[in-house]
Amino acid sequence: MAADTSLAPDTGYVAGEVVDPLSHANRLMRVTIGLIGGVAAIIVGLMVLTDVNAGYRVLLTVGGLVLLFLAIDSAGKLIRGPLFETGLWLSVVWVAIVGLSAAFADFLPISEAKDASATIFDGTPTLKRPDLLSAHPLGTDRQALDVLGGIIYGARVSLQVSVLAVAIGILVGGTIGVIAGFFRGRLDTGVGVLTDSMLAFPPLILLLALASVMDRSPRNMAIALAILGIPTYIRLARVNTMVFAEREFVLASRAMGSSRRRIIFKELVPNVALPIFSYAFIIIAVLIVAEASLSFLGLGIQRPDPTWGNMIAAGQDDFDRHPHLVFAPGIAMFLTVFALNRVGEKARELWDPRQANL
Amino acid sequence: MLRVIGLKLVRLVPVLFLVSLATFFLIDLIPGDPAVNMLGADATREEYEAVNKLLGLDKPITDRYVDWLSNAVVGDLGHSLRLPNEPVSDLLQRSVGPTLRLSAMALGMAFVIAIFLGVWSAQAAGTRVDRLVSGTMFGFISVPTFLAGLLFIFFFVFRESIPRWLWLIGVGLIVLRLAYLAISRLAEDSADVSGWLGYAIATFVVAGLLFWVFVQWPDFPRTASHRYDDNWREQIRSLFLPALALALSEIAVFTRLLRADMLSTLQEQFVLSSRAKGMPVWRILFRDALRPSSFSLITVAGITLGRLIGGTVIIETIFGLEGLGKLIVGTGVIPKNYTIVQGGVLVLAVGYVLLNAIIDISYQYLDPRIRRGRV
Repeated sequence: MAADTSLAPDTGYVAGEVVDPLSHANRLMRVTIGLIGGVAAIIVGLMVLTDVNAGYRVLLTVGGLVLLFLAIDSAGKLIRGPLFETGLWLSVVWVAIVGLSAAFADFLPISEAKDASATIFDGTPTLKRPDLLSAHPLGTDRQALDVLGGIIYGARVSLQVSVLAVAIGILVGGTIGVIAGFFRGRLDTGVGVLTDSMLAFPPLILLLALASVMDRSPRNMAIALAILGIPTYIRLARVNTMVFAEREFVLASRAMGSSRRRIIFKELVPNVALPIFSYAFIIIAVLIVAEASLSFLGLGIQRPDPTWGNMIAAGQDDFDRHPHLVFAPGIAMFLTVFALNRVGEKARELWDPRQANL
Repeated sequence: MLRVIGLKLVRLVPVLFLVSLATFFLIDLIPGDPAVNMLGADATREEYEAVNKLLGLDKPITDRYVDWLSNAVVGDLGHSLRLPNEPVSDLLQRSVGPTLRLSAMALGMAFVIAIFLGVWSAQAAGTRVDRLVSGTMFGFISVPTFLAGLLFIFFFVFRESIPRWLWLIGVGLIVLRLAYLAISRLAEDSADVSGWLGYAIATFVVAGLLFWVFVQWPDFPRTASHRYDDNWREQIRSLFLPALALALSEIAVFTRLLRADMLSTLQEQFVLSSRAKGMPVWRILFRDALRPSSFSLITVAGITLGRLIGGTVIIETIFGLEGLGKLIVGTGVIPKNYTIVQGGVLVLAVGYVLLNAIIDISYQYLDPRIRRGRV
């Protein structure tokens, strides 16, 4: 047993009983200190020391966040056992927060974030610094539009566009992939050449080419992003179909005289769907970045609709003096992409039986 | 062997054909009349006709494609639709250089850093260092390139004292750690010179080198404007930040890949026998284990070139570098100068396909195990 534990990698994926390296009392202490210290540091950093150098406040707040993370980590391991994946659960929580606030943005008490003509006369200060206790928690931009509101409406656009794109991609790419993987032969070769040609364009370059010829509406953006994702889905579906088509239950179904349609819809599609869906999170993350990159270049969705990309692009002009215009949407985007990647990696681990061979 | 290469090349033909087709008919995707779309509503009739002629829109569709392709094959990609109507190939030729330099530097940096980090974290698998590196790499993957570029500008240009002092602190910690190792070995057994001398030398070398960087901290320019008479030091200095921003996600991908492959190589018998012979750790890692672990790294490097090319577009725009990406966006897409978009996209796509084919073929030579594999 002793030899076993010393050889096992310290990744938490060891079979059987796993012993928490820290004692119960130690964990409890960490939870208490982390919670109290972390919350205190965050409150002092963000709300109390309002006229101290921003660098120190950021440092204090980040320190508080680290303490808070350690406390949550210990609390999770106390309650759910030492295999608790804190980062994963925090990622799930973050994705949920972003998704919900984007969905219910219209009901949230956020200040004007879209219409610059509304903020001209009502005395909203322009380029206000972030202050968590005010009506503009993350400050305002050059046109006195609320940055937090922009981030939330931007999340709505980003999520709508990329989720729609992934849905189209799964539907179109999945169908083509399953058909190519099932029938093989010449059809498969043709599909292979088609996907190879689509993948021959570097992703952002393909988007640029599409952006140069189409209207920049969210709907067109979703279609363009879907075109970006389709070859990946074709390959995924094709390869998974080929793997499952070799299995005994398909042979059994064939032997019982099932029609091709029945084999595809009853035997293959339900099995192929799960590994394909498991990639959805990661592809959504990729598409969010692609959409933001395009908006950043000024070729995506335009103001007055705020997106993370066009907010950052507008803020970069003098972000030496007003860094919050870049950092606030930037951090929101980073956290979202990070959380989606983290969740996606877990989803693949759980649902894609052959992720290692891709 | 030749047959395998031949088959791969034959497969390229339909792909390149479809690529050219797609690039060419991009213009036909434009809703409405391209000339009106480009010139706006208040141009004269002659101007519209001039643009239509430049685009060849007055001819039937098949003629247009055949004309365009036969010209493109000999390097004539048409003329810019905006004054002074320069040939597209001239514009492309002028901007290829900066893009190549930028990508080469980014790839080089990514390889050096990733090999170091990947080998180190594989060697230290499961330790705190390994987890820190893995976590950081996961974070790097999630940083969009344009954000990385802006972050570097903010910290290295606007707040340059922050990274400088962070560097000093980090370096100090590493040097202290090395010194601690050297001293503890010395205290353990001072007669065993080979045990501590290496660490002692490493301490001084690392300390000296890293402190020198702190003193010499370069003044990074906000824009990487690139003059050809600049000496190589100037070029490296002005390309350092853009290349690092571009390399960030590649570093993460390469490191994760190399770490995984390295972990499985380190389980092999020949590594065990090397260890048993008492070879020093660095020799086992870099001489024995690195080469067999690097094959998938090379393949993936080919695949990530696509992202790298996309990244150069953004990085060139942020840092004001007159490269291919800036040409396509600034002179092509934004003013709806379709011939430049076409030419640029075609060159990038064909280059990307050919590079991947070369990597694919050279891979056959590098790794004998896959020579007889399915094409």
